[in-house]
Amino acid sequence: MILIGENINITTNIAGTAMKERNPEPIQKMAKAEVEAGMDYLDINIGPARKNGEEFMTWMVNTVQQVTDKPLSLDTTNPLAIEAGLKVHKGNALINSISLTRMETELPLVIKYNADMIGLLWGREGMPRDADERAIIAAELMYKANEVGIPNDKIWFDPIATPVVNVDTNQVKPCLEFMSMLQDIAPGCKSTVGLSNISSGAPTHLRPHLNRTYLMMLMKYGLHSAIVDAFDPELIKIARGETPELVNLVHRVMDGEKPDLSSLSEEEVKYVKTVRVLTGETLYSHSWLEL
Amino acid sequence: MAFEIPKTKYTGKIREVTLGKGDKAITVGGETSYPFYLFEGEMPHLPHIAMEVWDCPPGEWPEAALEPFAGVTDDPVAWAKKCINDYGAEMIALQLISTDPNGLDRGADEATEVVKKVADAIDVPLIVWGTANQEKDIEVLRKVAEACQGKNLIIGPVEEGDYKKIGASAIGYQHTVAASTPIDINLAKQLNILLGNLGVTDELIIMDPTVSGIGYGIEYAYSVMERMRMAGLTQEDEKLQFPIICNIAKEVWKTKELHLADDELNMGNAKKRGILMEAMSAMALLLAGGDVVIMRHPEAIKLVREMIAELTA
Repeated sequence: MILIGENINITTNIAGTAMKERNPEPIQKMAKAEVEAGMDYLDINIGPARKNGEEFMTWMVNTVQQVTDKPLSLDTTNPLAIEAGLKVHKGNALINSISLTRMETELPLVIKYNADMIGLLWGREGMPRDADERAIIAAELMYKANEVGIPNDKIWFDPIATPVVNVDTNQVKPCLEFMSMLQDIAPGCKSTVGLSNISSGAPTHLRPHLNRTYLMMLMKYGLHSAIVDAFDPELIKIARGETPELVNLVHRVMDGEKPDLSSLSEEEVKYVKTVRVLTGETLYSHSWLEL
Repeated sequence: MAFEIPKTKYTGKIREVTLGKGDKAITVGGETSYPFYLFEGEMPHLPHIAMEVWDCPPGEWPEAALEPFAGVTDDPVAWAKKCINDYGAEMIALQLISTDPNGLDRGADEATEVVKKVADAIDVPLIVWGTANQEKDIEVLRKVAEACQGKNLIIGPVEEGDYKKIGASAIGYQHTVAASTPIDINLAKQLNILLGNLGVTDELIIMDPTVSGIGYGIEYAYSVMERMRMAGLTQEDEKLQFPIICNIAKEVWKTKELHLADDELNMGNAKKRGILMEAMSAMALLLAGGDVVIMRHPEAIKLVREMIAELTA
């Protein structure tokens, strides 16, 4: 699985502050640490960057590429900033992301700069409500991308993970269902997911359990890549296929198996409970692991 | 093959919680189906109505709400007795409005004295409700709990920010807690877990999902309550299998619509309007899963009682 490190992000404490101050050292340190942790791409999230977006992204790409030759995932809603970043980026960048609303201006950039793109399945009316709405958006994005000459293997669809803490908008099942039909709808297209969003709002020390479990669940449907916390070594092990038994357990629970919890290790029990919370079988609460 | 009406498969049961002490104690909960779905399960205890009493004369009630309590609104004991003797109240909900730091800001001692007097004067279950100012509620409700030891009051609102202190007093002095959360099922579940971890036994918890009246977001409360019952009854979610209390009267009678005079804005008779708004709001909440509703107007209460009787006949 291709792993994209999420940690260079304007909203975070260390990196965010350095980014705003254009202070290269902490950012370069973070970039090196992410690469050492095993990331294949580094996400550069500069936020909406309405002002100075071009200067900002240019500076970010140059700053990070001084210390690593890993490709970058350029993450902003400002298309001018994306293009500015692509201009100075060495190698093949990933555009994070293109959705229906801005595709007319952004799809040509994929061709012009020989980039890959994340196709964000965000609809014209906002968050899709089920797998079918995701499929419709994916199909439209794919056709438009193909029209300008983008081949399917450059499109990475992100079905959008939503925080599990909000029961009303739990989209885990629709996302899994979409993943299961992706290759029928869009043969050859890839997939990715902003994984940590699933645990947004949960207590910080418990977030890794949600992130890892959701990753294993998505792996059931051949997830191609994920945007992840580079500093969760357990998560990386899972992504690298080093925990086949655990993944197998998660998949069995997804298939409805009810393993005898007393026969499992404490750690395995936590993953079983987390699958149930993610599928909505158990209603989420911050103490879900204790019940 | 004969047609069979599909039925919901229930796997859980709402816990029974007994409110108050002695002959007039009331047990609520115990449902094994959605509210009033008597063709699918049981509702061993009908929903109950608690009548509201304020600990200070209400300044801003519409005339229609004041009229039934003329002469007693400056005396909580007389008010509570009137509710019981004249209007058949099965429970009293004493709202400690006077303790609001942004209002009269009466101290804990004074408030406790009033609660004690009312508690001693009546034999029906007594709900004691603070102002949701956590700092003040801790001060007041702890003192109340101590002064009324063993009476099994229902004390609320108990929130995430004050559950430890108020919850500990409730355990120590044997009262039931109304676990209150802001229209959010996950937070409701979490607070019930926290109360359990603190040592509050399941038989001493009732949930307050935070409600509002028709026209003011009742549908949100309705959805959360409905979802609580789904989790409790069909998903075996033990942490949501608690009875529900709805503090609705205050919300309905403070709305703009209930302060308009007769025929103002073409809204018809003010008294009838108030009674119907209260009765309909309360009824909607009962249909969503309410076990106890706190109400105000005797005629609204009468309407709701009739509806409950008809739905369970």
